[in-house]
Amino acid sequence: MSSVIWYLYEFARKSWAEKFADAKTDQEIMETPSRFRDFPEVRKEYCIACGACTAACPAPMAIKLVRTKDNTHEKGITYPIINNRGCIRCGFCAEVCPTEPKTLLCGENHHIREKFTIFPQEKLYVIDDYLCIRCKKCLETCKNVAGAISEVDKKMVIDQSKCIGCGDCVKNCPVKGAVKAIYVDHVEEQKSIINLVVNTLESRIDEDQDKIMFLEPPEVYKIDYPTYELAQKAREIIPQEDLIRDTFEKITDRLKLRILTWNEEKCTDCRLCVSECPSGAITYDEEEGVKRDPDKCLRCSICYQTCPFDVPGYYLARFQLTDDPLDEGLIQITIKPSKLPTQ
Amino acid sequence: MLDSLKDVIRKSSIHVCLVSTGGCNGCDIEVVALLSPRYDLEQYGIYVHNNPREADVILIAGAVTEQWREKLQRIYAKAPEPKVVVAVGNCPLSGDVFNQEGGSVYAPASDFIPVDAEISGCPPRPSEILAAILAVGPDAIATKGRQAKGGHTVEEKAEGGEKV
Repeated sequence: MSSVIWYLYEFARKSWAEKFADAKTDQEIMETPSRFRDFPEVRKEYCIACGACTAACPAPMAIKLVRTKDNTHEKGITYPIINNRGCIRCGFCAEVCPTEPKTLLCGENHHIREKFTIFPQEKLYVIDDYLCIRCKKCLETCKNVAGAISEVDKKMVIDQSKCIGCGDCVKNCPVKGAVKAIYVDHVEEQKSIINLVVNTLESRIDEDQDKIMFLEPPEVYKIDYPTYELAQKAREIIPQEDLIRDTFEKITDRLKLRILTWNEEKCTDCRLCVSECPSGAITYDEEEGVKRDPDKCLRCSICYQTCPFDVPGYYLARFQLTDDPLDEGLIQITIKPSKLPTQ
Repeated sequence: MLDSLKDVIRKSSIHVCLVSTGGCNGCDIEVVALLSPRYDLEQYGIYVHNNPREADVILIAGAVTEQWREKLQRIYAKAPEPKVVVAVGNCPLSGDVFNQEGGSVYAPASDFIPVDAEISGCPPRPSEILAAILAVGPDAIATKGRQAKGGHTVEEKAEGGEKV
């Protein structure tokens, strides 16, 4: 009985009646909060035309690299444009953008920097959660150092502030690459070794362009490249055998080269590719016809997909380092035609 | 006199039919969020019935799959004049992530039925959907209601273009 009276009293109040008659959503609910990740913002002056944003984008129509025309004063600039009708606001493009400051801004994720080790050690050990099978062998090995490896959220994690860098976890890990030892020092030297190896392999593949050009889809083309010379040159850069071996292995494991061949005999000078090329690598001259500058080429495959006459060929190369010592070892190169559709 | 009375009534009572033509249901869930007390769609006089026979606004969410191509046109033809079509999210606009090489979606939806308003986003915020319905809904329905008297038949409007 008392509750009925209380309800009647409550409903009879003027403020309740006013609220009831004029129910509205609060303005702050309707407003977009500042943390909301909206469509990416493009700052074209910083773009280096690397194409990382287009490769990272999961939506087919969302992002495209365009290039303004050259004029008498300056060369045209390349920059990405975002199509709001295709963009899913995931922010991947901003995360992969390598320029400093970033060309693309989207949300806050890409402002987060990775933590760096504070312990003075040569290598940084990290567990790649994508490859980790959670067998916990690293945890068993690492019993002596309390808390260096732990299980957080069903994922194995190495605490960088406690790790002493002994490397036992790498030795006992059954999955190749699940625990990674990253050389923290000599970054510049590592970069020059990577440049050396990638450039050498690429020029080696270029020598065989004539044979690659006529590959039919199921066929693959194989080259064995001896590592002796590469190892010698790398030792001149830095005389540290295990670092060189490690860098070589990482390059051959991860590198996926995109190869673009150019069959000039088939070209009919239709010039469809000239305006499509995002980096301006393809030019047209009345005397020389359509020319491609391999140094400017981004290997983005747009010309391959545009050309109706099969002038550009598009191939993928993967690499494998043999287990022999570097002086006798081989880098096995496998080249196969890409499965990208053409027009 | 009768027209202005109809306009007032049409503007303050909008019936919505949500058609999900093969998407990931993300946009549908944003529309459901609109129905919740937090956004409270009905305070604006908008009702979601999911019945094209009594709809003023048709919301399309989805990239128009093989099976939906003809059904979408049939649903559009079933809705009584005046009617407004709003494309929710990127799927009906461009096919979004489903419009991959070798995929079989037939976006954009405007190839099949006339689309009056577009909301981009994947998914758009509920407030964006609400703003779009309110921006296009009342006035467009009122003006279309007058046009319909001028002899536009349903069949003419439902005619879809060829896929480019």
